[in-house]
Amino acid sequence: MGIYYDIDDILLEEEPISVLFQTGASGVGLLDPGSETNSVERSAKVTLPFWLANELFLRRAVSINVPACFSSETRKEIQADAACVDLKFRSPYFYELGCKILPLVTDKSIGPFLQYAFTSRYTEILSKSHNITGANPKFSSKLTKEESHLFEAARSSMISFKKWRVGGSRLEKASILGRKRKPTTPTESSTL
Amino acid sequence: MAGQSDPHLSIFTPAEVEFLAEDELVEIVPNIRMDALNMICGDFGPFFPQISTKVPIWLAVALKKRGKCSVRPPEWMSVERLTHVLEAERESPREFQPLPFHYIELSKLLFEKAHDDIPDIYMVRSLIEDIRDVRFHKVEMGLEKISGRTHAVKLKNLSAMEVNIVRPFMVRALQAFYKHGSPEMIPQPELTVSRTQVLDRGPRRDLRPR
Repeated sequence: MGIYYDIDDILLEEEPISVLFQTGASGVGLLDPGSETNSVERSAKVTLPFWLANELFLRRAVSINVPACFSSETRKEIQADAACVDLKFRSPYFYELGCKILPLVTDKSIGPFLQYAFTSRYTEILSKSHNITGANPKFSSKLTKEESHLFEAARSSMISFKKWRVGGSRLEKASILGRKRKPTTPTESSTL
Repeated sequence: MAGQSDPHLSIFTPAEVEFLAEDELVEIVPNIRMDALNMICGDFGPFFPQISTKVPIWLAVALKKRGKCSVRPPEWMSVERLTHVLEAERESPREFQPLPFHYIELSKLLFEKAHDDIPDIYMVRSLIEDIRDVRFHKVEMGLEKISGRTHAVKLKNLSAMEVNIVRPFMVRALQAFYKHGSPEMIPQPELTVSRTQVLDRGPRRDLRPR
């Protein structure tokens, strides 16, 4: 189901998701650090990575709780001032996770919420990205993966345009030429 | 054709756009006699002193460097014309004025390589800068309006360099908006909201397999 060659997609599936076991399962005690026996009780609350939670959900073994990053608290903050919310802290894969988890949970308001969050943060990214030439850690540290890709795309194209306009040497030195050679130690050469 | 520098993003670097712009023709006035040059891209010349002819910019720059010609600035590169364009750009906040597709690159090349052939070079240079700023501001205003319902963006008369600057951002933004606005993500409005809106959204849903 994931995109095989996309590293972000792989990392995204590692995100921890809290699930509720619908059936008891024996022999999988390591999933639940709190369990004393080697099994997971029915209706035990366990945190699993997304890929496992998804597979278990398809087998109807668990039900998935809405992750904390889509809680009503976050929604209120987004409604207050979307651009100031540190979404990267909540989840670096905020949007991607939302898209993947939407078919698995009953709360379908995540979809419109994601769209609202993205739309309102988009204008801020737009206005910042084309005007900032230097790095701006304060702003870009709040962006999720998807947003920072967008931000970087605009920023790097603007920077390279400005660099071109100012001019300068048209020939660039290959990075390998700047490196210092490793000094060969005499002991090494004598053994050879 | 994708850009060579970064195959992953498939965009051109500004230097690559400049390279493409070097095929544009300019008029030069040679001061030497030379036979016609037969190139793959076409035949240029023969060259006679004081008789103007059209050559690509790369050839003009090469001749100019050796002091074999003077470049005639293109028609649009005059203070009068550019002032006019700038005024028109400022007056129409939604439209772009027709300028040569490579005007940014052309002007930079000529300013660098043939600065003594352009009259009022300071004025022309600052006018082109102003025009570029005004146009880019308009592009940004347009980008601000992108939303989930945007399917395409109309960019008439936008020049190569301007397109190249906004391309990576615009493509990603449109993709993201498409993803977040897709019917799988937003199922409710179609089910609960009144019938007119369902009809309104109809055509887009038909494009997707069910």
